[in-house]
Amino acid sequence: MDENKDAARRAYRLTRRRFLAASSAAALAACAPAATPGPGGASVAPTATPGPPLKIGMLLPFTKVYAELGNSMQRATKLYLKQKGEALANRPVTVVYEDEANDPVVGAQKTQKFIDSDRVDLMMGIVATPIAYAVRNAIDSAKLIFIETNAGGNALTRTTTNCTPSCKSKYIFRTSFSSYQISYPIGEYFATQMGVKEVFTFVADYGFGNESAADFTSGFTKGGGKITGSLKAPLGSADFLPYVTQIKAQNTKDIYSFFSGTDAINYIKAWTQLGMPAAGYKMNGAGFLTEQDVLKEVKDQANGATTSLFWAVTLDNAENKAFVDAYQKEYTLLPDVFAVQAWDGMQAVDLALQAVKGDTNNKDAFIAALENVKFKSPRGDFEFDKETHNPIQDIYIREVKVQSGQAVNTIVGKVARVTDPGK
Amino acid sequence: MTPETAVVQALNGISFGALLFILAAGLSLIFGMMDVVNLAHGAFYMLGAYITLTVVQRTGQFWLALVLAPLLIGALGLVIEPLLLRRLRGRHLDQVLLTIGVSLVIADLVGLTWGREIRSISFPAGLDHAITILGGDYPVYRLFVIAFGGLLAVVLAVVHRRTRVGALIRAGVDDAPMLAALGVDIDRLFATTFAVGAALAGLAGVIAAPVFGIYPGMDVDYLIYSLVVVVVGGLGTLSGAVAGSALIGPADTFGKVLVPQFALALIFAVMALVLLLRPTGLLGRIRIAR
Repeated sequence: MDENKDAARRAYRLTRRRFLAASSAAALAACAPAATPGPGGASVAPTATPGPPLKIGMLLPFTKVYAELGNSMQRATKLYLKQKGEALANRPVTVVYEDEANDPVVGAQKTQKFIDSDRVDLMMGIVATPIAYAVRNAIDSAKLIFIETNAGGNALTRTTTNCTPSCKSKYIFRTSFSSYQISYPIGEYFATQMGVKEVFTFVADYGFGNESAADFTSGFTKGGGKITGSLKAPLGSADFLPYVTQIKAQNTKDIYSFFSGTDAINYIKAWTQLGMPAAGYKMNGAGFLTEQDVLKEVKDQANGATTSLFWAVTLDNAENKAFVDAYQKEYTLLPDVFAVQAWDGMQAVDLALQAVKGDTNNKDAFIAALENVKFKSPRGDFEFDKETHNPIQDIYIREVKVQSGQAVNTIVGKVARVTDPGK
Repeated sequence: MTPETAVVQALNGISFGALLFILAAGLSLIFGMMDVVNLAHGAFYMLGAYITLTVVQRTGQFWLALVLAPLLIGALGLVIEPLLLRRLRGRHLDQVLLTIGVSLVIADLVGLTWGREIRSISFPAGLDHAITILGGDYPVYRLFVIAFGGLLAVVLAVVHRRTRVGALIRAGVDDAPMLAALGVDIDRLFATTFAVGAALAGLAGVIAAPVFGIYPGMDVDYLIYSLVVVVVGGLGTLSGAVAGSALIGPADTFGKVLVPQFALALIFAVMALVLLLRPTGLLGRIRIAR
């Protein structure tokens, strides 16, 4: 009996200990971003007769799993400002960088800081969709102009019932994409242009992955294709071998996937390890499955994968060449799609500011100017859908090929001027 | 599920379990001896993977990393124990908090040193191909992981049961103060135990690097797995770590396949069930309170 009591006490001690450990870890995590603000800060360059300073609040992940995406967007932002002499429409620019730490609560706090204490003229950034959804109402009620430079959740630029999980705002623009745009067109393209009859879907089991699977499915079935089955893996699944084993146990050869980052790498490696290409299976997906961060690690293992995105580093146009060259010269590394999104965010703001002669106080005029912005982006022609503030853009169908020893996405097709169906 | 698929999935589960065993053995060892849940264990694992990355990039020698990384991380453990943990001996909660601090420092230093991009390394030469099992390809590396995990379990068991060091560890787990009273240098024993535990985490990092990738945040992901394994198996015993990983590895694999909606929660459900039925874990010993 005594022994059992001791055992119970031990178990209790253990839980208490672990609880304290966990809660203090949480507390530390909450404090950490405040103690280590993102790099950067004020950078002002004098012009002939400079106007009032322009303050931009940039909310990006500088810690946790998406840190490199944040770094990439910060690099593009700094490069753009450097090229423009640190001023937009003759207003010297100050960028306040804050770390959202991939946490909606932190994101909401930092947004409030931009609104209340920094009193920024406009806000940009945010990588993860849940954070964008979490700050949407605060931004809308503060009438703060916000340029979303990554998060692709459909609801951010759509009218939804009761604004659940989020909805469009006249103050919110997006220079990246909606998940519809990178998933629906490739579905339709597969069925109508590539003659694919059957597809099996395997996506990350979270909001964005599920949206991507649903949009792909509706595009593919509208084109006459049939989805034969589906599988989902939780975000951050360590071991992909069990999933790929299951895929191999069914007969549909074309697989559509949405994964990114480490998940994409582990998935592609498990795919090769089980000899899927030799067994006749073909990997396809939304573009992040084979973006540069993944390709440079898996090298030729993703060879032949077909994905869709609004940009590729190999895209053949003058703006892209200039952008890639400038970026490479400044940082001695290739830009990624996240850099393009931030770059276009700066371009849109720059052009709209010029149109209103630098006046950001008249919000309606500034919003109208943003709505009318049209420019040549590294991705091709860029403009906002006036209805939703989501970009209207070409979607490229890309195939991974190994060119002179390097795995790259090569353009094999294009779906022109894709507009999100949101209203 | 066809029988062939079931066999392949069982192999997947066992190889994942073998990896979890390598990871959890060190955590269990340290807890058994020092009564400290070392929450820096995941950080040691991460460090092992990043050291492997550098060694493979510089020399192309995976096997060199397999020797070098555990040695370096063991040396780090040998510094951390006397420098930090020893000052708080007897204050278990404070020691656990301290290990959280150590893990945060290591994770940030890793980020500073190696950057925050996601990385991956190739399978070592000779283990990068597949063999045919039941008419389908199966990666040899996964079989290597199973063999390595099994071998490590045997080696640890022999050391534990048949050597003087093992006898000291067993005695220390039972009653450290009495062991000290008998004239054993308990400081040295604790430092060595901590170093060996850390080295085992580093070893797991090397073995896992080609399979699970190298990325910021991997420390926390796998710390959780190793905690689940030792809690399920029974804290502080080698056989507990074996039992825990033998249950959790296959449970995780078959959970992903059979109840995918529930995949993340399944191993925690298993843990809750085990704790309800056997609060000390599957093979945990009921210990005399000191």
